[in-house]
Amino acid sequence: MSLTTILLQQTINGLSLGAMYALLALGFTLVYGILELINFSHFNVFMFGSFIGMFVLQALGVQGQATVLHGLPLVGALVLALVTVMLACGTLGVVIERLALRPLRNVKGPAAMITTIGVSYIIYNVVLLAFGAESKNYPNPMPPVAVDVGGATLRLREVLIWVIALVLMVALWVFVQRSRMGKAMRATAQDAEAARMMGVEVDRVIVAAFFIGSALAGAGALIFGIYYNFTNYNIGFIAGLRAFTAAVLGGIGNVPGAMVGGVLIGLIEAIVSGGLLEVVVGPFASAAWADVWIFSILVLVLVFRPAGLFGRMAPTKS
Amino acid sequence: MLITRRAAGKLAGTAAALALLRAEGARAADQVVKVGINLPFTGADAEDAIRIFDGAVLAFDEANETHAVPGITFQYDKYDDGTATAGQYDPAQAATNARKMVSDPATIAAIGPEMSGSGKAMAPILSQGDLATVTPSSTNPDITNPKFAAQYMPAGKAIYFRTVTTDAFQGPNMANYVAETLKAKSVYVLDDSGAYGVGIADSFQGQAEKKGVKILGRDRLDPKAADYSAVLTKIKALAPEALYYGGVMQAGVKVVKQSYDILPGIIKAGGDGVYSNEMLTAVGFPAAEGWYASIASPHLTADPAAKAFMAAYQKKFGFAGTDYAITAYAGAQVIIAAVKGLKAAGKPIDRHTVRDAIQALHTQTLLGPTSFDQYGDLTDKTVSIFQFKQDAKGKPDDLIDQTVYIGVAPSA
Repeated sequence: MSLTTILLQQTINGLSLGAMYALLALGFTLVYGILELINFSHFNVFMFGSFIGMFVLQALGVQGQATVLHGLPLVGALVLALVTVMLACGTLGVVIERLALRPLRNVKGPAAMITTIGVSYIIYNVVLLAFGAESKNYPNPMPPVAVDVGGATLRLREVLIWVIALVLMVALWVFVQRSRMGKAMRATAQDAEAARMMGVEVDRVIVAAFFIGSALAGAGALIFGIYYNFTNYNIGFIAGLRAFTAAVLGGIGNVPGAMVGGVLIGLIEAIVSGGLLEVVVGPFASAAWADVWIFSILVLVLVFRPAGLFGRMAPTKS
Repeated sequence: MLITRRAAGKLAGTAAALALLRAEGARAADQVVKVGINLPFTGADAEDAIRIFDGAVLAFDEANETHAVPGITFQYDKYDDGTATAGQYDPAQAATNARKMVSDPATIAAIGPEMSGSGKAMAPILSQGDLATVTPSSTNPDITNPKFAAQYMPAGKAIYFRTVTTDAFQGPNMANYVAETLKAKSVYVLDDSGAYGVGIADSFQGQAEKKGVKILGRDRLDPKAADYSAVLTKIKALAPEALYYGGVMQAGVKVVKQSYDILPGIIKAGGDGVYSNEMLTAVGFPAAEGWYASIASPHLTADPAAKAFMAAYQKKFGFAGTDYAITAYAGAQVIIAAVKGLKAAGKPIDRHTVRDAIQALHTQTLLGPTSFDQYGDLTDKTVSIFQFKQDAKGKPDDLIDQTVYIGVAPSA
């Protein structure tokens, strides 16, 4: 493999990772933008989604890697799984908001954030107790189709990830910019009090943000399962933390920022773990050091641009 | 019906006594001795932990039923050193469990741990408490290495006995096999950052180098990360003839699945961490196909000597025993034999006498004649090699059906 080929392959790897992180990061950013709340339960809404996707695919008769679908059945199975997962995760997000966060809406301080950590652990342990600790062999109906791009391998499932992620992100962008609810969301994000005075139903906006954010996490979770062919009860933590980092890197509360942040983190991870910087930094360019790099870059960005790459310093809310 | 207070008390007393009798199956005068069994029942290695646990349970239950040691009833306490936070064995929890065992005076010996990372945390505590444990599968050599005695046996006496050999043999013998039999000229080595994984990968790497196999690189994986494609792509670019993975299944599931896509067609091998039921349930074929895995014990599940054991195990638990279920059974046999010797000699039975008895023991277990050196290592050093090969007619989650026994690994 030539250096260009390796670079190309690592970019493909990084973009796939990044697409997943971006979908997950959007959930953090949507909720933060509106409530200024870091929603840690998002980590495990993602994990929960991967299990729902697995059950849907298994119910459709896809077992492990043994069942491969083609054409219409493949598209049908994927769409059905995607829709179910997104609805299930969206509903879970709304339930969390209604039961655990709305009662704390006007409590000052970190109470709501701590509550989301608690909810996160509840989901984590419930899934652990219900489905066991062992890794699950995730059903993968994708045919092993691959094309050669300049020596690098591009698989069908990578293209699928990019397409799903791109479609969902564009849809979200259009929704936020063009729809009535999107306008209400932007208004609430700017100033909830003023938005309320203008007749925006802030509670509905918040429910919508939780539903959409969690549904996107669900989509990310299904992609995760199909891409890696496994899931277990603890996948949420690392993926969630990286996605959260992506959201902060891009500027938390900023939708395009989360998308770019996710892709950036994915690319950094691939380049560092892939040893591409070995010539420059020697053994520090290895998988074992990936987290040090990712979080160092985060710290540096925040030192020089406290609001993240795309964030604007907001005026202090009263 | 009118029941007086005294009658009620009598009734309750009788009921309690009956309940005790039924629960313990013990005769009134029997001394109850407790054995702590510490294994990771939570997390990625749970399936193997259950198989090991059942091996030991079978031995103690049989000993109680047949009154193998007259006047003694064995009771086992289950300790879980796997935690949800770690997602696999957790050395911190293992240390806590070791403290619990030591602080219970009725506990005279222990079985476990499954994993060397836990063993490293438990050994110093067990040493201070003079409580012997017999591990059926923990293979990191440091724990019984006299060089590290100050760390792992601070009280001076061996307390970490094994019914398997160590990675000082498992890693190098697999390296011999890869170099001599499979004729690989180059290899890339991965580990999962754990005590076991790093140790076995080091010992493999050292011997492979000696055998003239070129080491193209070495990487350490974060077992909780999901994506190893970047590392595997880097390995692909180096075009090694073989990949060696030292570690257990939390990272292993992802290494095997992703290397199936990214590194097809090369020799892939691992230690006993890969000889795991999760290779079948969580990884599955075709990804698992062709992987070589070693175990640090002789292969006995098909051996005539273990036939009765395998039948009894299948009958009692509903699934087939594994080689490490056999080493666990043998570990329990060691403890039972030690207690039996003490009882026959009329000596008191406590953790101190039991430790000394295990150290001096020469007994017959399912593994054959069994004894330990002065540091606790098994005198037999056999390493066996298997290869995963799908058998559509066999049980899909049975390691014996879905692997082929290659033979004993070359020791030099």
